Amino acid sequence: MKVIKAIYNFIVGDMVILIGVALAVTVLALINNVGVLAPLKSFSGPFLVIAVLASLVATLSREAFSSQR
Amino acid sequence: MQWVVAIAAFFASAVEFVEAFTIVLVVGVTVNWRSALLGALAAAATLALLVATLGTALVQWVPLDVLRTVIGTLLLLFGLKWLKNAILRYAGLKARHDEQAIYEETQAQLRARGGVDATSSRFDLFGFLLSYKSVLLEGLEVAFIVITFGVSAATSTVSRSSGIASAALGALAAGLLVILVGALVRVPLANVPENTLKFVVGIMLTTFGTFWLGEGFGVVWPLSDAFILILAAIYLGASFLLTVWLKRVKKQQRAQEIGNQPAPTAEQTKEVMQ
Repeated sequence: MKVIKAIYNFIVGDMVILIGVALAVTVLALINNVGVLAPLKSFSGPFLVIAVLASLVATLSREAFSSQR
Repeated sequence: MQWVVAIAAFFASAVEFVEAFTIVLVVGVTVNWRSALLGALAAAATLALLVATLGTALVQWVPLDVLRTVIGTLLLLFGLKWLKNAILRYAGLKARHDEQAIYEETQAQLRARGGVDATSSRFDLFGFLLSYKSVLLEGLEVAFIVITFGVSAATSTVSRSSGIASAALGALAAGLLVILVGALVRVPLANVPENTLKFVVGIMLTTFGTFWLGEGFGVVWPLSDAFILILAAIYLGASFLLTVWLKRVKKQQRAQEIGNQPAPTAEQTKEVMQ
Protein backbone atom coordinates (compact mmCIF):
# COMPACT_ATOMS: atom_id res chain seq x y z
CA MET A 1 0.00 0.00 0.00
CA LYS A 2 2.85 2.36 0.90
CA VAL A 3 4.51 1.67 -2.46
CA ILE A 4 1.31 2.38 -4.39
CA LYS A 5 0.81 5.61 -2.48
CA ALA A 6 4.41 6.64 -3.14
CA ILE A 7 3.99 6.00 -6.89
CA TYR A 8 0.66 7.87 -6.90
CA ASN A 9 2.24 10.85 -5.13
CA PHE A 10 5.26 10.78 -7.43
CA ILE A 11 3.28 10.76 -10.67
CA VAL A 12 0.21 12.82 -9.89
CA GLY A 13 -0.69 13.19 -6.20
CA ASP A 14 -4.11 14.58 -7.08
CA MET A 15 -7.25 12.47 -7.32
CA VAL A 16 -9.17 15.00 -9.45
CA ILE A 17 -6.46 15.06 -12.12
CA LEU A 18 -6.13 11.27 -12.02
CA ILE A 19 -9.88 10.69 -12.44
CA GLY A 20 -10.16 13.37 -15.14
CA VAL A 21 -7.35 11.93 -17.24
CA ALA A 22 -8.50 8.33 -16.64
CA LEU A 23 -12.02 9.24 -17.82
CA ALA A 24 -10.65 10.98 -20.91
CA VAL A 25 -8.49 7.97 -21.79
CA THR A 26 -11.44 5.59 -21.28
CA VAL A 27 -13.73 7.64 -23.52
CA LEU A 28 -11.01 7.90 -26.21
CA ALA A 29 -10.44 4.13 -26.02
CA LEU A 30 -14.19 3.52 -26.44
CA ILE A 31 -14.45 5.90 -29.40
CA ASN A 32 -11.44 4.21 -30.97
CA ASN A 33 -12.56 0.63 -30.45
CA VAL A 34 -16.38 0.51 -30.44
CA GLY A 35 -17.87 0.50 -33.93
CA VAL A 36 -21.05 2.40 -33.01
CA LEU A 37 -18.96 5.29 -31.66
CA ALA A 38 -16.73 5.50 -34.75
CA PRO A 39 -18.51 8.62 -36.14
CA LEU A 40 -17.31 10.49 -33.04
CA LYS A 41 -13.67 9.88 -33.96
CA SER A 42 -13.26 13.31 -35.53
CA PHE A 43 -14.18 14.88 -32.17
CA SER A 44 -11.49 12.95 -30.25
CA GLY A 45 -8.91 15.76 -30.42
CA PRO A 46 -11.18 18.60 -29.19
CA PHE A 47 -12.64 16.25 -26.56
CA LEU A 48 -9.18 15.47 -25.19
CA VAL A 49 -8.21 19.17 -24.94
CA ILE A 50 -11.52 20.03 -23.23
CA ALA A 51 -11.13 17.11 -20.81
CA VAL A 52 -7.62 18.26 -19.86
CA LEU A 53 -8.79 21.84 -19.29
CA ALA A 54 -11.81 20.63 -17.30
CA SER A 55 -9.55 18.52 -15.05
CA LEU A 56 -7.30 21.53 -14.44
CA VAL A 57 -10.24 23.82 -13.63
CA ALA A 58 -11.78 21.18 -11.35
CA THR A 59 -8.63 20.57 -9.32
CA LEU A 60 -7.88 24.30 -8.99
CA SER A 61 -11.46 25.00 -7.89
CA ARG A 62 -11.19 22.29 -5.27
CA GLU A 63 -7.96 23.82 -3.96
CA ALA A 64 -9.38 27.35 -3.98
CA PHE A 65 -12.64 26.54 -2.23
CA SER A 66 -11.37 23.77 0.05
CA SER A 67 -12.68 24.22 3.60
CA GLN A 68 -9.24 23.33 4.99
CA ARG A 69 -7.71 26.44 3.43
CA MET B 1 19.47 16.70 -31.69
CA GLN B 2 15.82 17.40 -30.79
CA TRP B 3 15.89 20.89 -29.35
CA VAL B 4 12.35 20.97 -27.95
CA VAL B 5 13.03 17.79 -25.97
CA ALA B 6 16.43 19.06 -24.81
CA ILE B 7 15.00 22.43 -23.70
CA ALA B 8 12.08 20.85 -21.80
CA ALA B 9 14.46 18.44 -20.04
CA PHE B 10 16.83 21.35 -19.31
CA PHE B 11 14.14 23.46 -17.59
CA ALA B 12 12.66 20.55 -15.64
CA SER B 13 16.09 19.38 -14.54
CA ALA B 14 17.23 22.87 -13.56
CA VAL B 15 14.34 23.16 -11.07
CA GLU B 16 15.02 19.77 -9.52
CA PHE B 17 18.80 20.25 -9.43
CA VAL B 18 18.40 23.58 -7.63
CA GLU B 19 16.34 21.78 -4.95
CA ALA B 20 18.87 18.94 -4.65
CA PHE B 21 21.80 21.38 -4.66
CA THR B 22 20.47 23.09 -1.52
CA ILE B 23 20.72 19.85 0.48
CA VAL B 24 24.13 18.90 -0.98
CA LEU B 25 25.38 22.38 -0.09
CA VAL B 26 24.15 22.20 3.48
CA VAL B 27 25.71 18.75 3.94
CA GLY B 28 28.96 20.04 2.43
CA VAL B 29 29.09 23.08 4.71
CA THR B 30 27.80 21.42 7.88
CA VAL B 31 29.20 17.85 7.65
CA ASN B 32 31.95 17.85 5.01
CA TRP B 33 32.30 18.14 1.25
CA ARG B 34 33.68 14.65 0.79
CA SER B 35 30.53 12.94 2.08
CA ALA B 36 28.24 15.43 0.29
CA LEU B 37 29.90 15.03 -3.11
CA LEU B 38 30.23 11.25 -2.82
CA GLY B 39 26.50 11.02 -2.00
CA ALA B 40 25.58 13.26 -4.94
CA LEU B 41 27.82 11.32 -7.35
CA ALA B 42 26.43 7.97 -6.19
CA ALA B 43 22.88 9.23 -6.75
CA ALA B 44 23.80 10.59 -10.20
CA ALA B 45 25.26 7.18 -11.12
CA THR B 46 22.08 5.41 -9.91
CA LEU B 47 19.95 7.76 -12.02
CA ALA B 48 22.13 7.32 -15.10
CA LEU B 49 21.83 3.53 -14.71
CA LEU B 50 18.04 3.84 -14.40
CA VAL B 51 17.72 6.00 -17.54
CA ALA B 52 20.04 3.74 -19.51
CA THR B 53 18.37 0.44 -18.58
CA LEU B 54 14.74 1.56 -18.52
CA GLY B 55 15.18 3.80 -21.56
CA THR B 56 16.83 1.06 -23.61
CA ALA B 57 14.20 -1.50 -22.59
CA LEU B 58 11.38 0.82 -23.62
CA VAL B 59 13.07 1.72 -26.91
CA GLN B 60 13.67 -1.89 -27.89
CA TRP B 61 10.57 -3.74 -26.73
CA VAL B 62 7.52 -1.50 -26.73
CA PRO B 63 5.71 -0.55 -29.99
CA LEU B 64 5.60 3.23 -30.67
CA ASP B 65 1.78 3.57 -30.60
CA VAL B 66 1.45 1.79 -27.23
CA LEU B 67 4.33 3.83 -25.89
CA ARG B 68 2.75 7.10 -27.02
CA THR B 69 -0.57 6.24 -25.36
CA VAL B 70 0.94 5.16 -22.04
CA ILE B 71 3.62 7.82 -21.91
CA GLY B 72 1.23 10.50 -23.20
CA THR B 73 -1.04 9.68 -20.25
CA LEU B 74 1.86 9.80 -17.77
CA LEU B 75 3.14 13.09 -19.19
CA LEU B 76 -0.34 14.55 -18.96
CA LEU B 77 -0.63 13.52 -15.29
CA PHE B 78 2.82 14.85 -14.52
CA GLY B 79 2.33 18.06 -16.51
CA LEU B 80 -1.05 18.85 -14.93
CA LYS B 81 0.46 18.36 -11.45
CA TRP B 82 3.26 20.84 -12.17
CA LEU B 83 0.90 23.30 -13.88
CA LYS B 84 -1.60 23.16 -11.01
CA ASN B 85 1.08 23.84 -8.39
CA ALA B 86 2.62 26.67 -10.44
CA ILE B 87 -0.79 28.35 -10.95
CA LEU B 88 -1.60 28.03 -7.22
CA ARG B 89 1.76 29.63 -6.37
CA TYR B 90 1.22 32.48 -8.86
CA ALA B 91 -2.21 33.12 -7.34
CA GLY B 92 -0.75 33.14 -3.82
CA LEU B 93 -2.76 30.10 -2.72
CA LYS B 94 0.36 28.01 -2.14
CA ALA B 95 3.67 29.01 -0.58
CA ARG B 96 6.61 29.36 -2.96
CA HIS B 97 9.62 27.12 -2.56
CA ASP B 98 12.05 28.84 -0.20
CA GLU B 99 15.58 27.48 -0.70
CA GLN B 100 16.98 29.67 2.08
CA ALA B 101 14.43 28.31 4.60
CA ILE B 102 15.14 24.70 3.53
CA TYR B 103 18.88 25.37 3.86
CA GLU B 104 18.53 26.77 7.38
CA GLU B 105 16.12 24.04 8.50
CA THR B 106 18.38 21.21 7.27
CA GLN B 107 21.43 22.88 8.79
CA ALA B 108 19.67 23.14 12.16
CA GLN B 109 18.72 19.44 11.97
CA LEU B 110 22.30 18.43 11.19
CA ARG B 111 23.68 20.59 14.00
CA ALA B 112 21.10 19.18 16.43
CA ARG B 113 22.44 15.74 15.57
CA GLY B 114 25.76 16.90 17.00
CA GLY B 115 29.24 15.40 16.87
CA VAL B 116 30.01 16.73 13.41
CA ASP B 117 33.31 18.35 12.56
CA ALA B 118 32.90 20.27 9.29
CA THR B 119 36.66 20.74 8.91
CA SER B 120 37.31 16.99 8.97
CA SER B 121 37.48 15.16 5.64
CA ARG B 122 36.48 11.86 7.28
CA PHE B 123 33.66 10.02 5.48
CA ASP B 124 30.35 10.55 7.31
CA LEU B 125 27.65 7.98 6.50
CA PHE B 126 24.76 10.20 7.58
CA GLY B 127 25.96 13.09 5.40
CA PHE B 128 26.51 10.71 2.48
CA LEU B 129 23.02 9.21 2.81
CA LEU B 130 21.33 12.61 3.16
CA SER B 131 23.07 13.90 0.05
CA TYR B 132 22.37 10.64 -1.85
CA LYS B 133 18.69 10.61 -0.89
CA SER B 134 18.03 14.23 -1.82
CA VAL B 135 19.75 13.99 -5.22
CA LEU B 136 18.08 10.63 -5.96
CA LEU B 137 14.57 11.79 -5.02
CA GLU B 138 14.79 15.09 -6.91
CA GLY B 139 16.58 13.36 -9.79
CA LEU B 140 13.92 10.66 -10.15
CA GLU B 141 11.51 13.23 -11.55
CA VAL B 142 14.21 14.32 -14.00
CA ALA B 143 14.90 10.70 -14.99
CA PHE B 144 11.18 10.17 -15.53
CA ILE B 145 10.92 13.26 -17.76
CA VAL B 146 14.07 12.33 -19.69
CA ILE B 147 12.80 8.81 -20.42
CA THR B 148 9.18 9.67 -21.22
CA PHE B 149 9.91 12.81 -23.17
CA GLY B 150 12.84 11.34 -25.03
CA VAL B 151 11.05 8.15 -26.03
CA SER B 152 7.79 9.80 -27.04
CA ALA B 153 9.41 12.56 -29.07
CA ALA B 154 10.56 9.98 -31.58
CA THR B 155 9.11 10.28 -35.04
CA SER B 156 9.59 8.02 -38.02
CA THR B 157 12.63 10.03 -39.08
CA VAL B 158 14.27 10.37 -35.68
CA SER B 159 15.19 7.31 -33.65
CA ARG B 160 13.96 6.88 -30.10
CA SER B 161 17.51 6.63 -28.76
CA SER B 162 18.16 10.07 -30.22
CA GLY B 163 15.15 11.42 -28.28
CA ILE B 164 16.50 10.03 -25.00
CA ALA B 165 20.00 11.31 -25.81
CA SER B 166 18.62 14.83 -26.49
CA ALA B 167 16.67 14.82 -23.22
CA ALA B 168 19.66 13.46 -21.30
CA LEU B 169 21.90 16.17 -22.77
CA GLY B 170 19.40 18.85 -21.71
CA ALA B 171 19.34 17.43 -18.17
CA LEU B 172 23.14 17.15 -18.06
CA ALA B 173 23.53 20.78 -19.18
CA ALA B 174 21.15 21.91 -16.42
CA GLY B 175 23.00 19.84 -13.83
CA LEU B 176 26.39 21.26 -14.85
CA LEU B 177 25.03 24.81 -14.87
CA VAL B 178 23.54 24.47 -11.37
CA ILE B 179 26.77 22.92 -10.02
CA LEU B 180 28.89 25.63 -11.68
CA VAL B 181 26.78 28.52 -10.40
CA GLY B 182 26.46 26.85 -6.98
CA ALA B 183 30.21 26.29 -6.71
CA LEU B 184 30.84 29.95 -7.55
CA VAL B 185 28.33 31.51 -5.16
CA ARG B 186 28.28 28.80 -2.43
CA VAL B 187 24.86 29.89 -1.16
CA PRO B 188 21.40 28.39 -1.78
CA LEU B 189 20.22 29.38 -5.25
CA ALA B 190 17.22 31.30 -3.96
CA ASN B 191 16.99 33.71 -6.90
CA VAL B 192 16.27 31.06 -9.53
CA PRO B 193 12.71 31.65 -10.79
CA GLU B 194 11.63 28.14 -9.83
CA ASN B 195 7.92 28.73 -10.22
CA THR B 196 8.31 30.20 -13.71
CA LEU B 197 10.44 27.22 -14.75
CA LYS B 198 7.89 24.80 -13.29
CA PHE B 199 5.10 26.64 -15.08
CA VAL B 200 6.92 26.49 -18.44
CA VAL B 201 7.69 22.79 -17.99
CA GLY B 202 4.09 22.14 -16.86
CA ILE B 203 2.80 23.76 -20.08
CA MET B 204 5.28 21.77 -22.20
CA LEU B 205 4.51 18.41 -20.55
CA THR B 206 0.74 18.98 -20.75
CA THR B 207 1.01 20.06 -24.39
CA PHE B 208 3.14 17.11 -25.49
CA GLY B 209 1.16 14.70 -23.30
CA THR B 210 -2.08 15.78 -25.00
CA PHE B 211 -0.52 15.60 -28.47
CA TRP B 212 1.00 12.14 -28.05
CA LEU B 213 -1.96 10.68 -26.20
CA GLY B 214 -4.16 11.89 -29.06
CA GLU B 215 -1.79 10.37 -31.63
CA GLY B 216 -1.80 7.09 -29.71
CA PHE B 217 -5.58 6.99 -30.20
CA GLY B 218 -5.31 7.85 -33.89
CA VAL B 219 -6.27 11.53 -33.61
CA VAL B 220 -5.23 13.43 -36.73
CA TRP B 221 -4.29 16.90 -35.49
CA PRO B 222 -4.83 19.78 -37.91
CA LEU B 223 -1.53 21.23 -39.24
CA SER B 224 0.21 18.04 -38.03
CA ASP B 225 3.16 18.74 -35.65
CA ALA B 226 2.59 22.51 -35.83
CA PHE B 227 -0.57 21.96 -33.77
CA ILE B 228 1.73 21.55 -30.74
CA LEU B 229 2.22 25.34 -30.78
CA ILE B 230 -1.56 25.90 -30.87
CA LEU B 231 -2.02 23.47 -27.98
CA ALA B 232 0.67 25.30 -25.99
CA ALA B 233 -1.07 28.63 -26.71
CA ILE B 234 -4.43 27.21 -25.56
CA TYR B 235 -2.96 25.94 -22.27
CA LEU B 236 -0.98 29.14 -21.76
CA GLY B 237 -4.08 31.29 -22.26
CA ALA B 238 -6.19 29.07 -20.00
CA SER B 239 -3.52 29.12 -17.27
CA PHE B 240 -3.33 32.91 -17.43
CA LEU B 241 -7.12 33.22 -17.07
CA LEU B 242 -7.14 30.69 -14.22
CA THR B 243 -4.40 32.58 -12.37
CA VAL B 244 -6.33 35.87 -12.69
CA TRP B 245 -9.51 34.14 -11.48
CA LEU B 246 -7.77 32.51 -8.49
CA LYS B 247 -6.16 35.80 -7.49
CA ARG B 248 -9.63 37.36 -7.45
CA VAL B 249 -10.99 34.43 -5.40
CA LYS B 250 -8.18 34.87 -2.87
CA LYS B 251 -8.88 38.60 -2.60
CA GLN B 252 -12.59 37.94 -2.00
CA GLN B 253 -11.83 35.29 0.63
CA ARG B 254 -9.51 37.68 2.46
CA ALA B 255 -12.10 40.47 2.35
CA GLN B 256 -14.70 38.06 3.69
CA GLU B 257 -12.38 36.98 6.53
CA ILE B 258 -11.80 40.60 7.53
CA GLY B 259 -15.55 41.28 7.33
CA ASN B 260 -16.29 38.30 9.60
CA GLN B 261 -13.92 39.45 12.35
CA PRO B 262 -15.86 40.97 15.30
CA ALA B 263 -15.57 44.75 15.62
CA PRO B 264 -13.41 45.89 18.58
CA THR B 265 -15.33 46.86 21.70
CA ALA B 266 -15.11 50.38 23.16
CA GLU B 267 -12.82 49.09 25.93
CA GLN B 268 -10.42 47.43 23.44
CA THR B 269 -10.26 50.64 21.41
CA LYS B 270 -9.53 52.60 24.56
CA GLU B 271 -6.69 50.20 25.49
CA VAL B 272 -5.12 50.55 22.05
CA MET B 273 -5.38 54.35 22.24
CA GLN B 274 -3.58 54.34 25.60
